[in-house]
Amino acid sequence: MMFKKECQCEPDNGHDMPYTLPPFYRKAMLQSRRFLGIIMVILLWYLASWWVDYQLGVEFPTPVITVIRLLDLLAGEQIYSHSIYTHVTASLIRWGAGYLLAVIFGIGLGSFLGFSRTAHEIFMPAMYIFQLIPGLAWIPIALLLFGIGNTATIFMIFMTSLVPIVINTSGGIRDVPPIYVHTARNMGASLTEIFFRVMFPASVLSMINGLRIGLAGGWRVLIAAEMIVGVGTGIGYSIEMSRWTLDFRAAFAFIMVILAIGLLIERILFEAIERKIIYNIGVSNNERKIPGM
Amino acid sequence: MKEKYLVCEGLTKSFVDHRSRRVVTALRDANLSISRGEFVCLVGPSGCGKSTLVHLIAGIDMPDQGKIYINGKEAGSNGEPPGIVFQEYSLFPWMTVMENMRFGLELKGWPVREQYVIARKYLDLVRIQDFDEARPNELSGGMKQKVAIARALSLERELLLMDEPFSNLDEQTRRILDMELLRIWKETGKTVLFVTHNIEEAVILADRILLMTVRPGRVQEEFCVDLPRPRVYFDRDVSDLHREILEELKLCCNDGPGIS
Repeated sequence: MMFKKECQCEPDNGHDMPYTLPPFYRKAMLQSRRFLGIIMVILLWYLASWWVDYQLGVEFPTPVITVIRLLDLLAGEQIYSHSIYTHVTASLIRWGAGYLLAVIFGIGLGSFLGFSRTAHEIFMPAMYIFQLIPGLAWIPIALLLFGIGNTATIFMIFMTSLVPIVINTSGGIRDVPPIYVHTARNMGASLTEIFFRVMFPASVLSMINGLRIGLAGGWRVLIAAEMIVGVGTGIGYSIEMSRWTLDFRAAFAFIMVILAIGLLIERILFEAIERKIIYNIGVSNNERKIPGM
Repeated sequence: MKEKYLVCEGLTKSFVDHRSRRVVTALRDANLSISRGEFVCLVGPSGCGKSTLVHLIAGIDMPDQGKIYINGKEAGSNGEPPGIVFQEYSLFPWMTVMENMRFGLELKGWPVREQYVIARKYLDLVRIQDFDEARPNELSGGMKQKVAIARALSLERELLLMDEPFSNLDEQTRRILDMELLRIWKETGKTVLFVTHNIEEAVILADRILLMTVRPGRVQEEFCVDLPRPRVYFDRDVSDLHREILEELKLCCNDGPGIS
C-alpha cells in the first residue's frame, strides 16, 4: 500500500506577489506624519498667542519671537547676571550630581532588595510609599534638612530619581529566570559570581528602564526645585525670574532649552545605550520593541 | 552486576503550594539506582515528581528525608554535582555560544587556552560548528539544546541528568536529537538519567525504564530494555515493549481508567 502521493500543486511562477510600497516611500510617509504633528503643535501655539493677545491684550510670545529671543541669549546676552550657558551648566551639574548619587545608591539598594527576600519584604512597602510622593513635595523636607541652596536641590533630585531605580532594579533581579541561577550554580558558580555574572546581566534591561524613569523624573523636579529653592542660577530659576520681570520671551526660550536637552538625552543617549544593550544581551528586536521608534 | 553509580534511598520531598496553601508531597519514599555507564529513562505523567527527583539529585533542592549517593559518596556534602540539561532553554542569552561554553570551564579554573580547546572539542562532539560567535537567540531550539548538552558534558562529570530536554522541540527535531544523544552517549560513555513523559522516546533510548506514579510520587515499575540499538519503532520487539508498558499503565484499550 502506498500513501505517498506526488504533489499536484501549480509551480510558483513568482508573479503574484502583492504590491507593497517600496521602503523609501514608507519611510517618507512616516516622517511626513511626524512632521505634520509638529506643525499642528506650532499652529496651536500661534492660535493661543493670537487669542491671548486679542482677549487680554498681553503679549504671548509666538514661535518666531521665541526663537529670536533664544538666539539672542545663545549669542551671549546676559540674563539675571549670567549667560544662558552658565544657567544651563548650573542646572546640568545639579541634576548630574543628584542623579549620579541616585544611580549609585539605587542600583546598590535595588540589587540588595532583589537578592534578599527578607530585605525586600521589609523595605519594599516604604519604596512604594515613597513612589507616591510627588518630587515637589520633598521641598519642605529638603529645606529643613539642608536649608536654601544647592544641596536641597540635589537632595530633591536624588529622592525623585532613587525610587524608580530601586524598584526597577530589584524587580529585574527578582524576575531573573531561576533556570539561569540553577545552571550557573550547577556549573560551580559562587553566590557572588551568580550575582555579577548572571543576575546582573539578566536584569540589565529592567535596570535601564528604571534609570530612564529616574532621569526624567529628576529633570522635571530639578526645574521645579530651582523655581522655589532660591539658588540664583539655573534654568528653573531663570524661568521663575522671567515671570517676575515679565520677560515671557525669555521664559519661552528657556522652555525650548529644556525640551532640547530632554530630547537629546532621552532620544539620543538612552536609545543608543538601550539598543547596544539589547544587542549585547542577545534579545532580538521581535521580542522587545524599542518604544516610540 | 555492575557497580552502582547513583543510588537514591527513600527520598521524600514536599512543597507548600502557594496558591492553595496546602502541603503537596511531590515524592514519597522514592528509590532508584543506576549503574555506571547506564542509560536510564524516568517516565511518568506530569506532576509525578520527575523533575523534583532530578532537582534533588542535581543538588538544586534538598530532600526532606532520604539519602542520595553518587559514586558511593553522599551527595551534596562536597564534590561536584552531576551535569544537567533542562527542558527550558538555559543558555545565557547575553553570551555567545563560545562564552556560554567557557563560563563553566572558567569557573572550574581552566586557563583560557584550554577553555577554548575543551569547548571546541565538545561543540564538535554535538556537531555545532561555525556558531561560536552566535547568540542563543540566533539558534534553533534543537541547536540550543545541543549546545546545552555540550556545555554540560564539557565539565566532564560522570553523571548527566536530562530533565525532558527535548520536550519543547517539534517531533522531527526530537527524533533526530534522540539519535544524536545515543551517539554522544556511546562516544563518551557517560551515565545518563533521562526524564521524559514520552514512552516511545524512552523505549527507543533506554537500557532501563523506570515508571513513576503520581500520589505518591515514587518509582513503581522497572522495565529492562534488552534490545539491540539502533532501535526502530516499528520493529516487533520495540512495539511489543511499548505495548507492554501501555498495558501496565492501562492505557491501551478503551476500558482503561480514562482521565480522572
